[in-house]
Amino acid sequence: MSRNINQPKSSPKLLDVNKLAVEFDTYGGVVHAVRDVSFSVDSGETLAIVGESGCGKSVTVQSIMGLIPMPPGRITSGSALLRGQEILGTAMIQGRDIRGSEIGMIFQDPMTSLNPTMSIGDQIAEPMQVHKGYDYRKAYSEAIKLLELTKIPESTKRAKQYPFEFSGGMLQRAMIAMAISCKPSILIADEPTTALDVTIQAQILDLLQELQRETGMAIVLITHDLGVVARLANEVAVMYAGKIVEHGSVEDIFYRSAHPYTLGLREAMPTNDPDKQSVLSPIPGSPPDLFSPPVGCGYCARCPWSMSVCESKNPEGFYLNEGHYSKCWMHHQQSPVKPIELYFEQQTHG
Amino acid sequence: MISYIVKRLLQGLLTVWFIATATFFAMHNVPGDPLLNDRAVSDAIRANLESKYGLDQPLGTQYLIYLKNLSQGDFGISFTQENREVNDIIREHFPVSAILGILAVVFAATGGILFGALTAIYRNRLPDFIIMILVILGISVPSFVIAAMSQLALVSFNSLVGVTVIPVAGWGTIFHMLTPALVLGLGTMAYLTRLMRSSMLEVVGSDYIRTAKSKGIPAPRIFTRHQIRNAILPVVTVLGPSIASITTGGFVVELVFAIPGLGRYFVQAVQQLDYTVIMGTTVFYGAFLVFMVILVDILYGLVDPRVRLEK
Repeated sequence: MSRNINQPKSSPKLLDVNKLAVEFDTYGGVVHAVRDVSFSVDSGETLAIVGESGCGKSVTVQSIMGLIPMPPGRITSGSALLRGQEILGTAMIQGRDIRGSEIGMIFQDPMTSLNPTMSIGDQIAEPMQVHKGYDYRKAYSEAIKLLELTKIPESTKRAKQYPFEFSGGMLQRAMIAMAISCKPSILIADEPTTALDVTIQAQILDLLQELQRETGMAIVLITHDLGVVARLANEVAVMYAGKIVEHGSVEDIFYRSAHPYTLGLREAMPTNDPDKQSVLSPIPGSPPDLFSPPVGCGYCARCPWSMSVCESKNPEGFYLNEGHYSKCWMHHQQSPVKPIELYFEQQTHG
Repeated sequence: MISYIVKRLLQGLLTVWFIATATFFAMHNVPGDPLLNDRAVSDAIRANLESKYGLDQPLGTQYLIYLKNLSQGDFGISFTQENREVNDIIREHFPVSAILGILAVVFAATGGILFGALTAIYRNRLPDFIIMILVILGISVPSFVIAAMSQLALVSFNSLVGVTVIPVAGWGTIFHMLTPALVLGLGTMAYLTRLMRSSMLEVVGSDYIRTAKSKGIPAPRIFTRHQIRNAILPVVTVLGPSIASITTGGFVVELVFAIPGLGRYFVQAVQQLDYTVIMGTTVFYGAFLVFMVILVDILYGLVDPRVRLEK
């Protein structure tokens, strides 16, 4: 059943991130923000990267985009291949800019992520002027079309306006219009709905889904909201303390969770179930200090099933089935706690 | 926008009226009589002046006469100089002060914005350290010291070359204007540099600059289209008061460089209790500053769209 994590690769994926590690030099020492992260995503797919604050989700995607300030940041190892070509440390592949052209990105807080002194239309037009060589008029009229595509009413009038005249939801639509203006093959959405209220959240997620259907782009979605994951993702990578601890299809993660941390996250989710409404069980403790990350499993201090091996040795990935792996010693053949007991727990807890 | 400008101009007019009134009553509380000193004018002139300004009338009437003349743009006749209208003095000498002041403001603003942006981009590196040391010097050394030192430097420079490349003092050509304008603008330039640096540092770390990077915009374009315009806002805000400090600070520099500006007459008039010249120049300077501040406010509206719409 258990296989090693490195499966033989067939044709190159659209984006293939391999053993990425990122460190930051701070006054307090070196922060190991991302430690050995691998994932891949294909056209038309949505990969969700979930995890709590500070687990390295944003750093992972920002280092792929080259947005990490260096120094103090440093990519110590790993690779990110776009259609088989390395994009780390370079701005262009095959004559196309990566940022804005091959990969678009939207951010968490649309209120502060747009330039306050530039009109919305100009901001959307800018990437097309830079990457496609459009003149200003053509880029601007394309920007108006993009505003229509992202369902902003009265787009001609709206394009002339400035960010302070837009609501949060409208700004996020404008951000999306800007990110997809050059038809990128990948859209990275870094907590796109966190700053928005729930009804707007749903609209933005629908919009992303619709755009993905039309353009066939891949979406890498960073979130800590499992509800958003369930709605949008095909595949899920659960991150903890700078590592991906479990990776699988959305069904694998929600119905066949294998890693204790994923289970903990699911337990900590609010539910509509009337029997359980009053009980919300958080994961006790706090994540490890990434100045000196633990030798073994990062989660073992908080894990109810932790064993002595967890502290001393870092677990490898154990494949539970095709495309679903979990980095937990419990899946090892000699483990006294059997994964079957976990599944039993899952049934009792829902 | 039009209504905003009209509103601001009306407010400005009110301010000028206030300045005029305050000057008038302040002047009348100054002890002494300019017509009674040793260089006293003849009785006939005295009678003429008294009737023209109503000086033998009660204060209220004098005030009304003053306002009436002022509203017609008549600042009156100098009490101490023969046959000189205050308007003539202003017309002759204000353009000199204005050119000097505007040149100084241009130096201060461009230098401040440029050096401020530079120090922010080279933060904690050599250019930053050098410029910031110069900035501290510029803020703390008074302008008359710098003026004298720059004259000294010019003298040795000219004697080294053999001909007068840049004149040490006087007025006339553009070469006469450069040094005093630079000296006059230096303190403000230093202040604006510090302001621009902190404002630029804030902008460089902001979310929308990260967005611009994620759009793949090249760094020079990010600098000109995204960073400068946003970082410049606080600098534009203080530009109005900066113009005020430069024009009032101009007196000293005009004196050191022997420039026939309005400042000299202003100081002279105060020393000689020349009522009309003091009041005339004060009101004129006041009106000029009010106008400059309004101009800066309108300029601010052009730079920041958020201000533009406020009525």
